[in-house]
Amino acid sequence: MARGKAKEGDGNWKKFIWNSEKKEFLGRTGGSWFKILLFYLIFYGCLAGIFIGTIQVMLLTISEYEPKYQDRVAPPGLTVVPQVLKTEVSFSISDPKTYEEYVEGLNRFLKNYDNSQQTDEMIFDDCPEKPHDYITRGAFNNAQGQKKVCRFRREWLENCSGILDSSYGYKDGKPCVVVKLNRILGFKPKPPLNDSLPPEMMGKYNPYVLPVHCFPKKEEDVDKIGTVEYYGLGGYAGFPLQYYPYYGKLLQPKYLQPLMAVQFTNLTYDTEVRVECKVYGENIHYSDKDRFQGRFEVKFDIKSS
Amino acid sequence: SSPQDQYEMYSVEMEKQGNGAMDVKIKKKKTNKAAKKKEKLESMKKEMDVVSGGSRTGVALAGEILLRDGPNELKPPKGTPEYVKFARQLAGGLQCLMWVAAAICLIAFGIQCGQGDLTSADNLYLAIALIAVVVVTGCFGYYQEFKSTNIIASFKNLVPQQATVIRDGDKFQINANQLVVGDLVEIKGGDRVPADIRIITAQGCKVDNSSLTGESEPQTRAPECTHESPLETRNIAFFSTMCLEGTATGIIVNTGDRTIIGRIASLASGVENEKTPIAIEIEHFVDIIAGLAIFFGGTFFVVAMVIGYPFLKAMVFFMAIVVAYVPEGLLATVTVCLSLTAKRLARKNCVVKNLEAVETLGSTSVICSDKTGTLTQNRMTVSHLWFDNQIHTADTTEDQSGQSFDQSSETWRALCKIVSLCNRAFFKSGQDNVPVPKRIVIGDASETALLKFSEITLGNVMEYRERCKKACEIPFNSTNKFQLSIHELEDPRDPRYLLVMKGAPERILERCATIMIKGQELPLDEQWKEAFQTAYMDLGGLGERVLGFCHLYLDPGQFPRGFAFDTEDMNFPTSGLCFAGLISMIDPPRATVPDAVMKCRTAGIRVIMVTGDHPITAKAIAASVGIISEGSETVEDIAARMRIPVEQVNKEARACVVNGGQLKDMETEELVEILKMHPEMVFARTSPQQKLIIVESCQKLGAIVAVTGDGVNDSPALKKADIGVAMGIAGSDAAKNAADMILLDDNFASIVTGVEQGRLIFDNLKKSIAYTLTKNIPELTPYLIYITVSVPLPLGCITILFIELCTDIFPSVSLAYEKAESDIMHLKPRNPRRDRLVNEALAVYSYFQIGAIQSFAGFTDYFTAMAQEGWFPLLCVGLRAQWENDHLQDLQDSYGQEWTFGQRLYQEYTCYTVFFISIEMCQISDVLIRKTRRLSVFQQGFFRNKILVIAIVFQLCLGCFLCYCPGMPNIFNFMPIRFQWWLVPLPYGILIFVYDEIRKLGVRRHPGSWWDKELYY
Repeated sequence: MARGKAKEGDGNWKKFIWNSEKKEFLGRTGGSWFKILLFYLIFYGCLAGIFIGTIQVMLLTISEYEPKYQDRVAPPGLTVVPQVLKTEVSFSISDPKTYEEYVEGLNRFLKNYDNSQQTDEMIFDDCPEKPHDYITRGAFNNAQGQKKVCRFRREWLENCSGILDSSYGYKDGKPCVVVKLNRILGFKPKPPLNDSLPPEMMGKYNPYVLPVHCFPKKEEDVDKIGTVEYYGLGGYAGFPLQYYPYYGKLLQPKYLQPLMAVQFTNLTYDTEVRVECKVYGENIHYSDKDRFQGRFEVKFDIKSS
Repeated sequence: SSPQDQYEMYSVEMEKQGNGAMDVKIKKKKTNKAAKKKEKLESMKKEMDVVSGGSRTGVALAGEILLRDGPNELKPPKGTPEYVKFARQLAGGLQCLMWVAAAICLIAFGIQCGQGDLTSADNLYLAIALIAVVVVTGCFGYYQEFKSTNIIASFKNLVPQQATVIRDGDKFQINANQLVVGDLVEIKGGDRVPADIRIITAQGCKVDNSSLTGESEPQTRAPECTHESPLETRNIAFFSTMCLEGTATGIIVNTGDRTIIGRIASLASGVENEKTPIAIEIEHFVDIIAGLAIFFGGTFFVVAMVIGYPFLKAMVFFMAIVVAYVPEGLLATVTVCLSLTAKRLARKNCVVKNLEAVETLGSTSVICSDKTGTLTQNRMTVSHLWFDNQIHTADTTEDQSGQSFDQSSETWRALCKIVSLCNRAFFKSGQDNVPVPKRIVIGDASETALLKFSEITLGNVMEYRERCKKACEIPFNSTNKFQLSIHELEDPRDPRYLLVMKGAPERILERCATIMIKGQELPLDEQWKEAFQTAYMDLGGLGERVLGFCHLYLDPGQFPRGFAFDTEDMNFPTSGLCFAGLISMIDPPRATVPDAVMKCRTAGIRVIMVTGDHPITAKAIAASVGIISEGSETVEDIAARMRIPVEQVNKEARACVVNGGQLKDMETEELVEILKMHPEMVFARTSPQQKLIIVESCQKLGAIVAVTGDGVNDSPALKKADIGVAMGIAGSDAAKNAADMILLDDNFASIVTGVEQGRLIFDNLKKSIAYTLTKNIPELTPYLIYITVSVPLPLGCITILFIELCTDIFPSVSLAYEKAESDIMHLKPRNPRRDRLVNEALAVYSYFQIGAIQSFAGFTDYFTAMAQEGWFPLLCVGLRAQWENDHLQDLQDSYGQEWTFGQRLYQEYTCYTVFFISIEMCQISDVLIRKTRRLSVFQQGFFRNKILVIAIVFQLCLGCFLCYCPGMPNIFNFMPIRFQWWLVPLPYGILIFVYDEIRKLGVRRHPGSWWDKELYY
């Protein structure tokens, strides 16, 4: 019985695709196909209309200048430049090709911080060269046009600015990394309370600076990490508050977030050294799941030959 | 003529052919011996030789033979081993797809792990989830099957049968399963024959072979061999038949599975069950789903490869599409729905062995029903009386709730006296508190009927008999055809004796000289004789068993007190008696049956009666329960009415009564033709084997056939039927084993309840499946958009599994509780070839309309959640590669904010959750619209189905739990979402509801229109 059915089915298949008696294609005549396709055309037309309509209405409720919610993006992440695969900085001092990639990355990133990029007085503003309180520039809309942006001088990064040493210390085996706090619109980072800092940072405390500190990930690496130099505005190892808050891509298209650089001048060569850098602040949080929130990790593996 | 002349023995041979169809050959056994039969006979003779060799078994020898032959019991049909059953649950069409998906996940995990990828744990996780899903649903299905097998096990007789055996000259009572070939056993009335035995002595022994041969007449058993065929000879009593009266001793010739019954039983159990229509439907549908899943997956695999995704990624896409498209929870839903109905049916006395049989009953278009016990009460009952030249109707209802007749006449009193006294039946003692119809009576069927009748109308008969002492008695025998007894009178001062007699009406009339009319004895002249004839014919024509009653007060001078009556010489008058009246008896139809048959008729189901009884009785019962409706005539009726020979009747007769003799000479085509011609059919005098032919012929007409049966010999027909219904009380174990359903109360009306439930569950399954299928589209589209447009993934696999197996199961099951939309018992049974469970309209409507709306709802909510967190829709397009780059820790959104990978991942989970909630919200609307297919939901009532309301609340609570339970983000990728994102899909939910109401309105207003054809599922 089953076999007979299958055979019958074979015949039916061909007939199903094109039934010459009834002039049916896939079980429908041309007229029938026309009607059903017209129906679906109208149906999907209406649906698409409703969809686009609702999306438009939804977009109307959203300001272009200020996100409705920042549930996931805050607190900010801490990013390191050069951005490298698996956050592993691995090169050989004698072979410039091995660190070319990192130097390129830094060059590319720091290009926006060149003085030549910051000439437009309409956009850029000379902010105090000492750490200072937040500079607010009005509401989050374009009622007063674009907002001004604080200048950030590349030379403040000293040895890591790339001006004095175009290889950012890599050719001497003293690699620099540049650290930035991820931009978050309207976010005002709060410096940490005095007593919550590690003791070695207490000396450089400033109430208008969000301090950054790097230390070995593992206790036993303490002697391998050597001296760590921090460069930043006014010599402070951190992010000064006058650059905050950020007003967004539309109001501050040329926004320069404050940077700081970290140079490891005495790293042990030919071994892996894992370093973690953290930014400290009252509204900075760290997460086990997101290892780039408020901190980052870099692995150095420098070959001496 | 003896029944043997009317019956031919058939051997039934069934073979399973390669293609799964069952081929049944019915061979008429010719009297000139077929070689095979001879061989059988020889072996049987040989067995007998062993016995007649004189070696009566001793206890020791019996033990040896028991070891050799095994216990004397029917081996239960060999079941499939448990592990095979379980493995089968894991290897269905969809399950195989899931295995493949899980394998792909594992491979992907392995490869990614090798590459040191950070996110690869997701794939391992998904693989484990998929395997868990298959195993858990497998366990569930296995448990369901296991439970229904257990129901059957509970039917097995727990009390072992006892047998009296003579070993080493001593009588023992032992368990019947300890008997061996060669044992000498004793049987007596009321015993079940413990094995196939050859009778060596017998006193008035009669057996009931109906379960074996279908003959309802008791058969005499005696030591003489009367026929060469073991089935027809009188000196063999068969295993498991009942000994009705008398005693006998015999030697066991066959035990256990080697008995005749055992052979038939094993024959039936060797036949695979026919696949139920719902199983075919579901298989068909699963094939399509699996095919489409592979097709979609394959297409997008190719698309992904062409677009330039790496091979591994494309394989993962394939897997994800399969997971999204396969309705994982569907089989569990169907099983639960069916078992709910099975439970509901069990409460109404139908126990369903095979879950799928529930629905089969709903598509049944022909019921071949037994008469005795199913349509009737299976007890002889006095139905009519004729006295004073008038037919009176007695109350035949089971609970004596009917009307009684006028009992004031003198004649009635006289008749009543005869009925009470001329009766050898008596109640078993100690039943005073039992209602009369239920009391156990020792005696044959008609005497029992008369005893109960007089007990009800007169009161305490036993005491009355005590007062009228019996002086002598001649029991009924087939030569006299009467029964006579002489009693003292109740009044001790009256010295007369009263002679009472009952018997075949014409014989009684011969012996009468007078007739009692209104208490007066009138001479029995021609006029009265004619009146008697008319009444006799009338009652006989009703298919009833008629008895005549007469009496005579003996002359006290001639027969003084203490007169020695001699039954041998008959030294008393046996003629010139006074005729009192006629009483007719019938096995009356059950009170609920005519209604049930009527219901079947309105439901478009043919009820065909197949019985071993006389055509006249069968026809009368058929007429009284409505199988032959009022005004329908058979060809014979028309001929009789028009006074022409049968051959000249050219008018079509609605009804037709075919007896076994006619059936025997018919070709199958002829039978099919007759079944086609006459809507009302009764088969009388049929053997159970002929039942099989009738079932087959009905199936040839394309009908879904339900068969009721109780005998062992019915089991092939029960197996062959689309749904076999066995009787719980009267049914033999073999019948119960072969059946798909068991009626605990043996009542036909229960079948009709079953049909109603079956139809309801078909409708409701349709709704459940439509509901379940709908969400596959909103689960699938996110992947399609993800692959083609490269937006961040809107819906993850784990989330999909949660929808399929967690939140949506309860609502889809709750649709099984939905009430019928219209009077389903007024519709024709579904045509299994045309009215599919899942038809094109259902799939298209669910997938391309409701599913499409749900997808749009999901995407609206997705884009809303993305935009409100900073990712505008246009930015999302093409974002996938950067979004999923886990080294990119400062990806800029539409506001220039920089996101780390972890933040983006949580945002993605937020999207999953938002999409999940959108589907849930739309599914709430979906479950509401699925309540009805044609009626407006307002007509059906929103809150009538309480379970559904609870299910919706449950679904919402579960949704909240998944969203807001702490720890969920990292375990199951659910994020706590903002309240307003619950509301975004609401307009689409309302749209679904309104659109479906419009659809239903169109379907109702314009039946047959384009709209109806395209959109009614």
